[in-house]
Parts: sequence; C-alpha cells; structure tokens
Amino acid sequence: MGRATNSSSSSIDSSNHFAFSSTGASSSSSQRDLSTDLRLGLSISTSHPYAREQPSDWPPMKPLFVQALAEEENECNSATFYVKVYMDGIPIGRKLDLLAHESYYDMIRTLEHMFNTNIIWAEAEVDGDHYEKYHVLTYEDKEGDWMMVGDVPWEMFLSAVTRLKITKC
Amino acid sequence: MSWGSRKTINMNYFPDEVLEHVFDFITSHKDRNSVSLVCKSWYKIERYSRQRVFIGNCYSISPERLIARFPGLKSLTLKGKPHFADFNLVPYNWGGFVDPWIKALAESRIGLEELKLKRMMVSDDSLELLSKSFVNFKSLVLVSCEGFSTDGLAAIAANCRFLRELDLQENDVDDHRSHWLSCFHESCTSLVSLNFACLRGEINFVALERLVARSPNLKSLKLNRSVPLDTLQKLLIQAPQLVDLGIGSYVHDPYSETYEKLKSAIQRCKSIRSLSGFLEVAPRCMSAIYPICANLTFLNLSYALGLHGNELTKLIQHCRKLQRLWILDCIGDKGLGVVASTCKELQELRVFPSDPYGAENAAVTEEGLVLISAGCPKLNSLLYFCQQMTNAALITVAKNCPNFIRFRLATFDPIKPDPVTNQPLDEGFGAIVQSCKGLKRLSLSGLLTDQVFLYIGMYAEQLEMLSIAFAGDSDKGMLYVLNGCKKLRKLEIRDCPFGNAALLEDVGKYETMRSLWMSSCEVTLGGCKTLAEKMPSLSVEIIDESEQMMDFSFDDRQKVERMYLYRTLVGHRNDAPDCVWIL
Repeated sequence: MGRATNSSSSSIDSSNHFAFSSTGASSSSSQRDLSTDLRLGLSISTSHPYAREQPSDWPPMKPLFVQALAEEENECNSATFYVKVYMDGIPIGRKLDLLAHESYYDMIRTLEHMFNTNIIWAEAEVDGDHYEKYHVLTYEDKEGDWMMVGDVPWEMFLSAVTRLKITKC
Repeated sequence: MSWGSRKTINMNYFPDEVLEHVFDFITSHKDRNSVSLVCKSWYKIERYSRQRVFIGNCYSISPERLIARFPGLKSLTLKGKPHFADFNLVPYNWGGFVDPWIKALAESRIGLEELKLKRMMVSDDSLELLSKSFVNFKSLVLVSCEGFSTDGLAAIAANCRFLRELDLQENDVDDHRSHWLSCFHESCTSLVSLNFACLRGEINFVALERLVARSPNLKSLKLNRSVPLDTLQKLLIQAPQLVDLGIGSYVHDPYSETYEKLKSAIQRCKSIRSLSGFLEVAPRCMSAIYPICANLTFLNLSYALGLHGNELTKLIQHCRKLQRLWILDCIGDKGLGVVASTCKELQELRVFPSDPYGAENAAVTEEGLVLISAGCPKLNSLLYFCQQMTNAALITVAKNCPNFIRFRLATFDPIKPDPVTNQPLDEGFGAIVQSCKGLKRLSLSGLLTDQVFLYIGMYAEQLEMLSIAFAGDSDKGMLYVLNGCKKLRKLEIRDCPFGNAALLEDVGKYETMRSLWMSSCEVTLGGCKTLAEKMPSLSVEIIDESEQMMDFSFDDRQKVERMYLYRTLVGHRNDAPDCVWIL
C-alpha cells in the first residue's frame, strides 16, 4: 500500500482525506454505503489521483468487538416488525412497523396521525372534560393479556407486543 | 559497595537453601532473570527454585529447553501471534500452536499448575491432554486465543478436579453445545474464578447454579449473553461474596418480581469491586446497579452497546472510587466531563468507538480528554479512540498528567491533522513524551512527520513498546526511534515510508528487542534477505498471502507486504504455513 505522496506541510488538500471524514459533504446514505464497504474490506477507488485506498482495518479494533458492533448495527437497521392495529368500530385494521419508531412518543404520533384521534397511554396528559374525544391504546402481549401501552421500557414492549387496539374511552 | 578495611562477605559461603529463601522474595521476572546472570552458582539456585516463567514469544525458545532449565516450573505464560494479529493483519494459520508445549510438558515431570496463553492456537486435543496430565492443575487463562471449542472446555471441567480458575477473555470459541458446565464434578468445590463471557452459545443454567452453589471461594464470575436475569438473581443469592461480576444479559421488566429479587440480591453483594458485561441491556433498568457503584474500582462497559450516553453518565455519577473505566464513546465529551468530576481516583481510561464509520457527532474529541486530564491527576494509562485531536489538547494533557505509563491514541482518520491549526500532531505527542518520563507504551495517530520520531528518540527513555501507523516521511523517522529508545522491546509499524536504509542501519539493535513488525512499508525482499544473512540469531519472516508465494516468483526489489522478525535461541520454526517464508 504505502502512503499517499503528500508532503508533510500544513496545507493538506482535502481530497487526500478519507472520503468519510472531516468536511463530510456526502449525505448520510452514501456514508452508510462506504461503511459497509469498509467493513467488507473493499477498497474504495476515487477519481482523484492522490487519493489512496481506505484501510479496511482502521481504526484498530479486536475482531470480537467488531463483530459485536456489526450485530448491534444489524439489529438496529435491517429488521422490521409489523403488528396489526384495530380501532373500535372500524372492521378494517392497519399495520404498523414498530421498529421504524424509536420510542413510545414516536409511535403514538404515528398512530394519532393514522387514526386521526387523540390517544391515551400510560404517559398521556388528559383533559378531564373531553374524555369522549380520546381513545385508549392497548396491546396484546405474548400471554394473551390486554395491557395499557407505556408502562414498561420500549424495548421490553417490543419483545412482548403482538397486536394493538385503540378503544373508545 | 565498599567495605573499606573490613573483610568482604562472600555470599557463596551461605548454603544454597539460604540463597533460595532470599530469592523467594524476588518475584518479578526481570529481577529473577537478573539474579540468574550474577554467577554460575546463583544461576543454578535460581533455576531450581523458579516456579513462574513468562515467555513473551513462544518461538524464542523451545519447550525442551524450558523444561531442562526449570524443573520446578509450576506456572507458565506464553504469547504467540504478534499484536497486530488483533487487527486481522496476521493470517489465521500463522502459528503460535500450544500443542507442542503441552505435549512436552506432559511427557516431563513438570507439575504444571497454571497456564496462561495469549494469542495462541489452542486445540481441543491439547486441552484434553492438559486436563489429564497434571494432577494439581489449578488455573487456565486464555486471552485472544482460537482453534478450540466447548468440547475442550468440557475436558478441562471434567478432569481438573482442583481447578480454581477458568478465565476465557475474548477468545473465538466454537460452540459444540457441549454442556461443558455440567462436566464439572460434584466434588469440585475449589473454583475461585470463572469467566465465560466470550462464549456465544447457550449454557446449562441449572448446572451453573449448582456449580456456583458449591463454590464457596468463588470471587470472580463473568457470564455470557445467554444467561438470563432470573438465573443471575439466583447466582447472586448463592454468591454474595463475589468481588468481580460480569453480567451477561440485562433485559428485564422493572415491575416484575424477578427484578425486585435482583435488586435485593445485588444489594447483598457488598464485596463487588469490579463490574463488566451488560452484553445485552435494556435501558432505564440500571438503577438496580446503583447500590454497588460506590465501591467499584473497575467498570468495564465496553461491550454494553445498548446503553446510551445519559444512562452511562448517570451510572458513573455513583462510582466515586473508580480506578479503571472502559467505556464506549457514546458517553461523549460532556459525559467524560462527568467522569472527570466524579472519578478522582481514576488511573486507567479506555474509550472505544461505538460507531467508527458512521456520523461524526457520535464520537469523543480532544475536549473530553482535556477534561479528564484536568480532573483525574492520577491517570497513568489511556486508550482513546476519537474523532479528532489537537496539539494544544495534547500539550495540556501532558502538563496535567505527567504520570502516563501507557498512552494510546487512535483517530478515526489515521492521518487527520490538528483541525484547528491544520498542523501535524508532532508537537502534541512531543509534549507527551517529554513530560511523561515513565512512559513505557505509546501508540500514535493523526498526521505525523519525522519530527515526532525525533522527539520520541530524544525523550522517551523508558519506552518499551511503540505502535506506528500511517506516519513519518522518510527513513529518518524510524532511525530516530531505533537510535534513541534504548529500552525498546517491541516496535510495530504499518503503512509508513520506512525502507531498507532504516531497517539495516543497526542490525544489532534487534537482538536487544523482542520483535519488529513492518507491513505496507518500503522495505524490500532484498533488504530483508540482507538482514537475515547478517543476523542468524533473528528469525526474519515474510508473510504474503498472494500467489507469488506459491510460485516463488519474487524479485529482490519488490516491497514486502508484511515482515515480522524476532530474536530466537532455537533457530527457525518448522510449523510455518505456506504464506510464511522464513529467510
């Protein structure tokens, strides 16, 4: 491999930098592609004559750790988890990808949009005089029980939920 | 020492037993080695009384010579592959096989009790032979090893009746579903330390519970990912005397009975000083851990990928006595500020990258390091993966923390200059080596010229290990180091413009060192051949996985992909694979 032929002076041409560092004009999606390539150990060719191959083994990390990082990454990115959602009075249900959301707040926002209503869940603040405008969000867990959404940590909810139901107050 | 007119006392008038007793107090390997060099009689007494031997390069000596010299050997440490093997720069089958060592020891009369291996190839057969050959075998520690499976562990468990320690650190172990934990005999009650955190497969929970229940001396227990919370809670109830705990899976419902039981079990573990693991973790459940944080001296969250910045900071705020902290960079610079204001006893900090190829704002920068240096004056050991570093920061760190023994920095872009001044980081690292007079280990990163090596050669008088990557401009850089660092033992270089002139200037230097690694540099085959010719006491290995190795179609003028050389007393090894050519 060997080093790029640049002198040690202070004026460093930004094109000698790795494409994924510093000024980062690239969008996050192309950064993601680069990182996959890096992890696969492929070298990235660029059009600039002085740019050199990206090292596939930098920064220096132990293989077990790299594996753990990759597994965590896969868990976050590639999975989808669609559950059925029914609303009281509407026979046709919808489907929601829970893994596309990061938290209860995120999911509630999507549901309120989907069903055009205000949703009560464990952390909702309710205006006492207007109950009839609200719907309660519940979920069925792996044991077949119907529980109010929001009591357990988000990740725990994801592992327990099988379907959602929005019922009138 | 001058006695003036008094008669000089000759130590050799003392009977051997007295000298032996004196030598008993000398435990460090270096000191015992020095003792053995004084005279023939001291050499003899020392070698018969030596019980612990450390061999930093398994190819520097043979098992036969080891056994011949130290018949009283009880504890052996062996290291195999060079350090850069950790970063996939060494082929899997390069070498470092423990098999011939165990065979030779088994055939001898050595009563081996402890074996510690690092970066070695271990087979199930050799583990089985080990387990059956030494009646008093007590301790097996495997670090970054591979080539074995849970079958080998089953043999150790089944046959080592007095086993005290089975410590598996970051090994690549094949899972054969061997129920190895069930192989521990019912009469085996001597376990002090059990670490299987790196195992990927399932284990028998009931067998584990029963093992822990019958091990009253158990002080260190590190679980793997498969152990659920329910089991953890039961284990803690059986072993409240634990000093060192590694939690595997930490996912639970904070409203469940199991969680309540866990909370009270943890509270009873008043001796825990060291905590690690959290290989799988549900956030917002860490408060159960807070009660034991006040006494923690070592916290290792480097694999706790499920914990995010806030949780990390909240946890650390409870850990006022922390001396060693291994953490992920999602803690952020601000989080490191919290560490700096909380952990005044901190000696060692390691910050690992949680997202090395991703968005820039996930990482730590020079700011976090400066905060740490200001708040933790006892800091002497650092491993820091960061987005960027500045000279000003390094100069400040050098001033705040003159006690560094180990200083390792890795910027995500290996040739990134100081982002503020656009200068190389020569001055910053120069300040570090000048200020830290006891520095033994250094890893450099960022844009670096020959100048930094001038500083290293000039000031790093105690330096024993140096790791260089993508640095320097010319042979001068490497020469500054070789000429200046008198105590240098291990030098590893990758992707630097150092060539034959530097390699060949002082060939005798390599006999004073354990090893030299150079990869993707300017050194040619001809240069390596010349070196090998001049220094028969060195083994010069060329590692090349291309087809040229098969065809022997090499030209002396060709640059060598990877070269690894080391001093040896036993000539060239005979177990090298095809991709290794020993000159």
